[in-house]
Amino acid sequence: MAKQIRSELGGRRHRSVSYAKWGYIFITPFFLVYLVFTLVPQLLTVYNSFFENYMDGLKQIGPTFVGFKNYITLFTPDKTGTIDILKYAGNTFILWILGAIPQFLIALLLAVFFTSYRLNIRGQGFFKTVIYMPNLIMASAFSMLFYTLFSNIGPVNQVLQSMGILDQPLDFFASKITVRSLVALMNFLMWFGNTTIVLMAGIMGIDQSLFESATIDGANAWKVFFRITMPLLMPIFVYCFITAMIGGIQMFDVPQVLTNGKGMPDRTSFTMVMYLNNFLQTSKDYGRSGAVSVIIFVITAVLGGIVYKTLAAQYQDPDAKKAERKARRLAKKGGNA
Amino acid sequence: MKKLIALVLAAVMMLGAVACAAKPAASNEAEKPAEQGKVFNIYAWNEEFKGFFEKYYKVPEGVTVNWIINPSDNGVYQQKLDEALKNQASAAADDKIDMFLAEADYIGKYVESDYTMDVASFGFQNAPTQYEYTIKAASDNGVCKGVSFQCCPSALIYRKSIAKDVLGTDVPEEVQAKLDSWEKFEAVAAEAKAKGYYMTASFAETFRVFSNNCTSPWVVDGKLHFDDQINAWIDQTEKFVQNGYTLTDGVWGEEKAAQMFADGKTMCFFGPAWYFNFCMGNAIDPEKGCAGDWNITMGPQAHFWGGTWLLAATGSDNTEMLKDIFETFTSNEEVCEKLVVNEAQYPNNTKVVEKFANDPTYGNTTILGGQNDIAEFSKLAGSIKWENHTNYDQLLNEGLQTALQEYFKGAVDKDTALNNFYKYVNETYPAIVTP
Repeated sequence: MAKQIRSELGGRRHRSVSYAKWGYIFITPFFLVYLVFTLVPQLLTVYNSFFENYMDGLKQIGPTFVGFKNYITLFTPDKTGTIDILKYAGNTFILWILGAIPQFLIALLLAVFFTSYRLNIRGQGFFKTVIYMPNLIMASAFSMLFYTLFSNIGPVNQVLQSMGILDQPLDFFASKITVRSLVALMNFLMWFGNTTIVLMAGIMGIDQSLFESATIDGANAWKVFFRITMPLLMPIFVYCFITAMIGGIQMFDVPQVLTNGKGMPDRTSFTMVMYLNNFLQTSKDYGRSGAVSVIIFVITAVLGGIVYKTLAAQYQDPDAKKAERKARRLAKKGGNA
Repeated sequence: MKKLIALVLAAVMMLGAVACAAKPAASNEAEKPAEQGKVFNIYAWNEEFKGFFEKYYKVPEGVTVNWIINPSDNGVYQQKLDEALKNQASAAADDKIDMFLAEADYIGKYVESDYTMDVASFGFQNAPTQYEYTIKAASDNGVCKGVSFQCCPSALIYRKSIAKDVLGTDVPEEVQAKLDSWEKFEAVAAEAKAKGYYMTASFAETFRVFSNNCTSPWVVDGKLHFDDQINAWIDQTEKFVQNGYTLTDGVWGEEKAAQMFADGKTMCFFGPAWYFNFCMGNAIDPEKGCAGDWNITMGPQAHFWGGTWLLAATGSDNTEMLKDIFETFTSNEEVCEKLVVNEAQYPNNTKVVEKFANDPTYGNTTILGGQNDIAEFSKLAGSIKWENHTNYDQLLNEGLQTALQEYFKGAVDKDTALNNFYKYVNETYPAIVTP
């Protein structure tokens, strides 16, 4: 019967069915999109960075091949001896790290609390939603809000003055400490919820019996955290850290909107991508902005590599397994006792 | 595997097809006869002119007017406009820009380009009632490419009650006599300070007064050049900030605007007729404002500020409408009168101006308590000269103010501030050589 039907359908017999091709077909769209919208533009950026190519008013200058001139210009010190791109790279790093340290500390703490079977916090859904909320607001809207809050005639200054703490409005945008702190605070508020959720998922992936047995063994919360949670969480933690770092290197929207693209004071909250953006605004300078992009790319790749090597290598592969084995041993011992 | 390759190729081809379809077919319509389009596209940077247009211009039946509005701040308007103009030749007839607005600070950039067209080509003739400088600003070697609906002589706008307290008088002629030079202005600033007032609310309040009296342009032989007037402004502002005669907010800042409320402590502002509507909202606030407590007079130096020009875009298929709009806002006396009475504008029509200036019953009652502002402004309008402009003015003026504001706020020293200005110039206009 079956044979009959098959022959009616065209008489072909399948000896084996290979589903592998579907795998390729399903991932094709991604690779196509990646090729067209990411890889090609990326290579074009590198190509463009070797040209002088900008607008002077409505007049197009170039493109003329100039070799490494754009890179040399970027690394030429100004009159006071500062190399702008390095200064902005430093700014970017400071702005990011100021927000990232509290972001990871608080996120780790919350993730441990929320996953702890001993604390068993109620209303977790509510808290998780609330801490994730700031991430749903557009960064630009969030920055505008902060700008209004902290302006010279904004509510923060008004409250501080009416409470008698200040007698003159404090100009938050005239000092690099306050501007940088505001940027860090906003980045922290926007991202700690996201990190918490990811780290929680990581912790929940760890075998619960390890925690239980460690507790029975008499390990205190610190020990459990450093000996069990952290080592086994490391792959997820490193992933979080690297993605946060890449996001940090590309920091743009928050300082851009908060300082209206100026990075005041004295360009101390001016990030690398804001620098890139300045070249693309009026002058449409594809040469130098291309060069800045390439530099950002190199920095990202190098830092990503370093972080991966130092943080992940300790725990992954043989070592990670060793840590896991160690933990299991500990657990077993606990069970026997 | 063959199937995979076929699929990939098909996908690539489809992408290509989509990309091609998105690109409008090259236009053969450049030489179209006088048939008029159905869509009229206007580029602008705020809603000001849009309001007047909608109230006082009757759009021909069957024509849709599209407003494309981008803010002027940080040069965004120019960027968007430039992009659109670059695509103008290949855009479909209904997507072409028909008219765009330009400000005094960069009008030259467009007037000198081929993106604007001779108004004579569609039969518009400048009327003798238009102010000479408004025509000169919109002309490239004698070929006029657009018109302005306003003339922008700028005056000293002072708080009467504060002037009375500081100067002992609030009569325009007497106030003028006490403030007709920068030396006197500074002396009065000291007196105002002694009585607990500010002379100005923004460090850049007097910038235009100086910069409009420059005797050389911003860029000379490709090099950035500081005119004596610009240096004089920096020196004066230094003094004003150090002595606490002024606040350090920007000209468009909220802190400055808040000084226009009744409880404000600032005596002087500088601005043309459009300033009333555009910047003095707080002054006519029904609860916290102080409408009527203001008068205008010339101040230390005659100057003008800004102005909006309507330029005819090359490739427009609505030339009849362009002509009609230009005529409505320059020579239609009824409309020009409405601009004065309803909108507190100073129109680009000397006949209408004369009528109001000599009309004893006319006065600006919304802000100036009945003072005849048109009469005051008309005394200044004749002296406006159009010279020493470059296409870079908007962003150089803005950039200098932004950089120096940090210095005036005490965040950096003067050299650093100027250095940051040069950096900004290098990023914005790579062609200009900075010191």
